[in-house]
Amino acid sequence: MIGYYLKRIVSALFTLFIIATLTFFMMRAIPGGPFTREKPLPPQIIAQLNAKYNLDDPVIVQYFNYMKGIATFDLGPSFKELGLTVNDLIRQGFPGSMKVGFVAVMFIILFGIPLGIISALKQNKAIDHVVMVMATIGVTVPSFVVATLYIYFISSRISWIPITGLSNPLAYIGPAIALSGYSLSYVARLTRSSMLEVLRQDYIRTARANGLSEFRVIGKHALKNAMIPVITYVGPMIAAILTGSFVVERIFSINGIGRYFVESVNNRDYTVIIGMTVFYSALYIVMVLLVDIGYSLIDPRIKLGRKSGD
Amino acid sequence: MSKILEVKNLRTTFFTHLGEVQAVRGISFDLDEGGILGIVGESGSGKSVTSLSIMGLVDEPGKIVEGEIFFQGTDLTKLDHKDMMQFRGNEISMIFQDPMTSINPAFTIGNQLREVIMAHSDLNKDQAHERALELLKMVGIPDPESRIKNFPYQFSGGMRQRALIAMAIANNPKLLIADEPTTALDVTIQAQILELMRDLKDKINSSVILITHDLGVISEICDKVIVMYGGMIMEKADIKNLFAHPQHPYTRGLLLSIPTNVTGKKKRLIPIEGSPPDLMDPPSGCPFSPRCPHAMEICLKKAAPLFKISETQEASCWLHHQDAPEVSGMVKVEGEQS
Amino acid sequence: MAERVVTRMRNPDFELVESSKKMNKEQTRRSLTYWKDAWRRLKNNRLAMVGLAGVILIILFGVIGPWFSPYSYSDQDNRFTNIPPRFEIYAIADDGYVFLSSQYNLILVNEKGELLDKLVRTNMDAINKIYTYDYEGEEIEVDFKNRLLEDDGGVDIKVTYKNVTSIYPTKTVSNKTFPWGTDNLGRDMLTRIMFGARISLTVAFVATLVNLIIGVTYGAISGLEGGTADDIMMRSVDVINSIPLVLYVILLMVIIDDQGLWTIIITLGSVYWVGMARLVRGQVLGLKEQEYVLAARTIGVSKAKIISKHLIPNAMGPIIVSMTMMIPSAVFTEAFLSFIGLGVSAPMASWGTLANDALAGLSTYPYQLFAPSIAIALTMLSFNFLGDGLRSALDPRLRKG
Ligand SMILES: Nc1ncnc2c1ncn2[C@@H]1O[C@H](COP(=O)(O)OP(=O)(O)OP(=O)(O)O)[C@@H](O)[C@H]1O
Ligand code: SF4
Ligand SMILES: [Mg+2]
Repeated sequence: MIGYYLKRIVSALFTLFIIATLTFFMMRAIPGGPFTREKPLPPQIIAQLNAKYNLDDPVIVQYFNYMKGIATFDLGPSFKELGLTVNDLIRQGFPGSMKVGFVAVMFIILFGIPLGIISALKQNKAIDHVVMVMATIGVTVPSFVVATLYIYFISSRISWIPITGLSNPLAYIGPAIALSGYSLSYVARLTRSSMLEVLRQDYIRTARANGLSEFRVIGKHALKNAMIPVITYVGPMIAAILTGSFVVERIFSINGIGRYFVESVNNRDYTVIIGMTVFYSALYIVMVLLVDIGYSLIDPRIKLGRKSGD
Repeated sequence: MSKILEVKNLRTTFFTHLGEVQAVRGISFDLDEGGILGIVGESGSGKSVTSLSIMGLVDEPGKIVEGEIFFQGTDLTKLDHKDMMQFRGNEISMIFQDPMTSINPAFTIGNQLREVIMAHSDLNKDQAHERALELLKMVGIPDPESRIKNFPYQFSGGMRQRALIAMAIANNPKLLIADEPTTALDVTIQAQILELMRDLKDKINSSVILITHDLGVISEICDKVIVMYGGMIMEKADIKNLFAHPQHPYTRGLLLSIPTNVTGKKKRLIPIEGSPPDLMDPPSGCPFSPRCPHAMEICLKKAAPLFKISETQEASCWLHHQDAPEVSGMVKVEGEQS
Repeated sequence: MAERVVTRMRNPDFELVESSKKMNKEQTRRSLTYWKDAWRRLKNNRLAMVGLAGVILIILFGVIGPWFSPYSYSDQDNRFTNIPPRFEIYAIADDGYVFLSSQYNLILVNEKGELLDKLVRTNMDAINKIYTYDYEGEEIEVDFKNRLLEDDGGVDIKVTYKNVTSIYPTKTVSNKTFPWGTDNLGRDMLTRIMFGARISLTVAFVATLVNLIIGVTYGAISGLEGGTADDIMMRSVDVINSIPLVLYVILLMVIIDDQGLWTIIITLGSVYWVGMARLVRGQVLGLKEQEYVLAARTIGVSKAKIISKHLIPNAMGPIIVSMTMMIPSAVFTEAFLSFIGLGVSAPMASWGTLANDALAGLSTYPYQLFAPSIAIALTMLSFNFLGDGLRSALDPRLRKG
C-alpha cells in the first residue's frame, strides 16, 4: 500500500518535471524572444533586459536556474507588469478564485450528486427526464453564455444583486452558477449512469435477496460503488474550478488568477503565462494525486497496486 | 409430508420496449418439506426467472402477471415490499450463479455477513461477529478470524461462493434456492460446493431448490426434478423415473446430451438440434415442437397438458395421448390431467 | 385394441409434420448485420434523430446558407450599425416610419420593416434631451426624456413631425433587411453567424480528423506492438493525460502567434488525441487475439495492413461514437479560445469571436450575443444527442433484444 502511494508520488513528480521542461522550451521557442514588441525596441535595451533577466546565459544554465526556481516555488518576474513577480500575481489572484471556486464546488456536490441519484432511482419517470434534459443543456451551453445570460436577465435587472466583483455574498451566485454549470450537469449525468450501472450488478440483487431494506441496498451497497467514477471525475475538476475559470472571472470582473492569466495572454506576458501554467498544472496534478489516494480508500482492489479496469 | 412451497400457474412476463418476453408461462409445482427439487433446462428456459419470482426479485420491466406462490401457506405474490423483506434472507434465501459478481466488492466479507445477520435478528455487532465467524467455519473457510476482514477480491471463486452460502444460511432459512451455484466454478470445487450444500441442508434442516443445466448434478443430490423448456414445464418426475424412463422427447434429448457417465457407461454426446424458442413470440403449441422429431399437427396448435404417467411422474407431451402414434418407451395414458 | 389404434390413427391432429413446416415458425428472428441493427436502434431513438436533424441543419446552414445571403461577412453599412432584429416604429408620413436606435440614430423604415436610410441629425439638445433630424427638408423632433425616467408613464419617446406628435409606437416590426440585426460596424449578423458556422465547424471537423488520425495510428501501433513499445507509448499517454491540456493549447496559440484558421486547427488537432489513442488501443488489444487476426499475422500480412483491414473496421463503432463527442468539444474549445482572444483574426469570425465581440455591448445589444450563443449551444446539443444515441445504438452489450 505504501509502495503504491510512493509510486504515485514519484510519477506525479515526474509529470511535473516533464511539464516544467516542456514549458521552458516552449518559452525559448517564442520567435524573437520575450521582448518583441509591435514597435521593435532598440537592440541595446533588449541586451540590457536580457542581461537583467539572465537571458544571455547559455541555455543549459538558464534551464537549470529555471528548474531551481520552480523547485523553490519561485516562478520569476513579470516582463510586462514591472516590479511584480508571477508569485505576486498568484498571491493576489488565488484567494478570489478559491472563494468562487469553493462555492461552485459546493453547488456541484450538493446538487449534482443528489440529482443524479434521484434521476437513477426514478429512471424514465418525469423527474428523470426533467433532470436529464437540464443536465444535457448544462453540459452543452458554454459558461460564457450562462454567465452573460445571468447578467442580462438577472443581475442587471435585480438591483440588489451586484453585477461584477465579489462585494457581497450574493455576488457569488452568478459566477458560481456559470462556473459550476457544466460540471454540475456532468456530475449529475455521471452519477445517474454510474448508479444505473451499479443497480444492475449481481451484488445488488444479492443484497436484496438477503432481505436488506431498500435504504441499505441503495444508500450503502449501491452508493459506495457508484461514487467511484464520480470521485475520479470530481477530483481533477475541483482543481480546475478552484484555480478559477478564465472566462467567468473575466466576465464578472473578479480578480482571480484566471483573469490574470487571460490578461497575460492578451499582453503576451510570457513569464506570467508560463509561470501560471506550471502553477496550475502542479495544482492539478496534486489534486489528481489526492484523488487517487482517496480512491484507494474507497475501492479496496486498488490497494494491492492492481490497476482498475478503465 | 407437508409442502413448504406450492407454485400455482405462475406466469412472469418482461414488458420490454421491443415486446413482451414471456419468460415463465404458467407453471405449477411444489416442494416437500426437507426435499431437494432440481430444475433443469437449457439456457433461457425460465429457470432463473422462476426462482426470482419466488424471491419477489423480478427486475423492472418484468412482472408476475398471474399465479400464486404459497410459502408455508402464505401467498408471497400478495405481500408488499416490507413484508417480503422479512422472508428474504431469513425464511427463504438464494445463492446465485456467479460468485465473482454476486458479492459486493466494496465491503469486507465480515461487514456483509454481519449485515445480513443483524437485518433479521436482535444480535448486536459483537454477537453478529461471533455468528459470522461460526458461519465461515461452517462453510469451510480456513482461518475465519483473519479471513473475515478480507475484501472479496482476496477470495478465490470457490471461497466467495462459500461466503455467499454463509450469507444465505445465516438465518437458518427454511428454503434455500440455489441458481446454478457451481456453474462458474471449476470441476473439483463444484463437487465440494455441492457436498457442502447437502451437508448444510441437513444441519439447518431446510428444503432446497437446485437450478442447473447439468443433469449429472441433479442425479447426485436431488430427489425430484422439473424439466423446463420455453418457460413451461415439460416433465416432472422423481429422480429414478426420470433417468430410467424419461417420458418427454426433450428430457430424452437432454439425457442423450449428458457428457458424463451418469448411467454407468460412457455415452456419446448427442446435442439437441436447433435452438430454444423466441420467448417474445413463442410457438403457439408445444414449445419444443420446432425441434421435436415426433412433432404432430396438434403439437403446433396446442400445448400438451401434463399427462400423469404414474404417481411420481408427469409429462407435457401429446405422445401420451391415445391417438398418438406409438413411440417406443412412451406410455399411453387414459385420462389427462392439467 | 389394434382396431382402436387404427381408427384413432386417422385423427388428423396426430399426423406427423415435416420438418420444413416446423422450422419456419422458429427461426424468424431476423439476423441483422451490425450496422443495420445499429441504424434500426438509432432510428427508434427520438432524441438521437433530433440531434441528427440538428447536425444536418447546422451543416447546411454553414455550407449553403451564405450563398443565399445578399451580404458577405465583411460587408459594412455604416448607416445601419447595431440595429436589432425587432424594433418599434413611429409613423411620420403616409408610408414613412422611423425608429430610434440605441445610439440615437433615427432610421427611416417602411411599414414592412425594411430599412431605408439613416436620417441626418441636425441638432442635439442634450440638456432637454431633444434631438432633431432632417427628413425631406422638414424637421423631426425626438424627445427621449421619458426613456431615462424611472416612472415613464408607459411612454418611451415622443416623435414630432410637422406638429404631429406620436407618443406611442405604431407597432413593433421585424427587421426585414437584416433579420438577425447588425453589429457595431453595420455587418449583417445572420451572414456572420453563417460564416461563423463555417469556421467553427471547419475547425471542429478538421481538428477531430487530425485527432482521429493521430489517435488511431498511435493506439493501433501501441496495441498491436505490445511489450515495451506499448509500455512506453502508454506511459507517455498517461503523462500527457495528467496535464491540463487547455493551458497547452493556449500556450501553443500564444507561441505560434498567428491567428489563422490553421493555427487553431493544428493546435486542437495535435493535443486532444489521447482519448482516442487509448480507446483504439483497448479495442486492438481485444481484437488482436481473435483468430482471423492471428491467422493474418501468421501468414505474414504486414502490420499496416492488419491495422487498416482488420482492426480499424472492427473498432469502428466506438471510434465513431467518440468522434461524435469530440466534435462538440472542439466547437466548444474553439469558442472558448476565441472568447479569450485567441481565435481567428478579423474580419473573419467564429462563433466564439462573435460572442466575445458582443460582450462589451451586452446590456445594450444583447441580440448580438444571443445569436452566436444559441448557435454554439444548439450545435453542442445536437452533437451530444446524436453521440449519446450512437453510443447506445452501437453498444454491443445491448445487442440482444
Ligand atoms: N430483465 C429481463 N428483461 C428481459 N428479458 C429477460 C430478463 N431477464 C430474463 N429475461 C428473459 O427471460 C427468459 C428466461 O431467462 P432465465 O434467466 O430464466 O433463463 P435460465 O433458464 O435461467 O437460463 P440460464 O441457464 O442461462 O441461466 C430469457 O429469454 C431471457 O431473455
Ligand atoms: S407435444 Fe409434440 S412437439 Fe411437444 S414434445 Fe411432445 S411430440 Fe414433441
Ligand atoms: Mg439462469
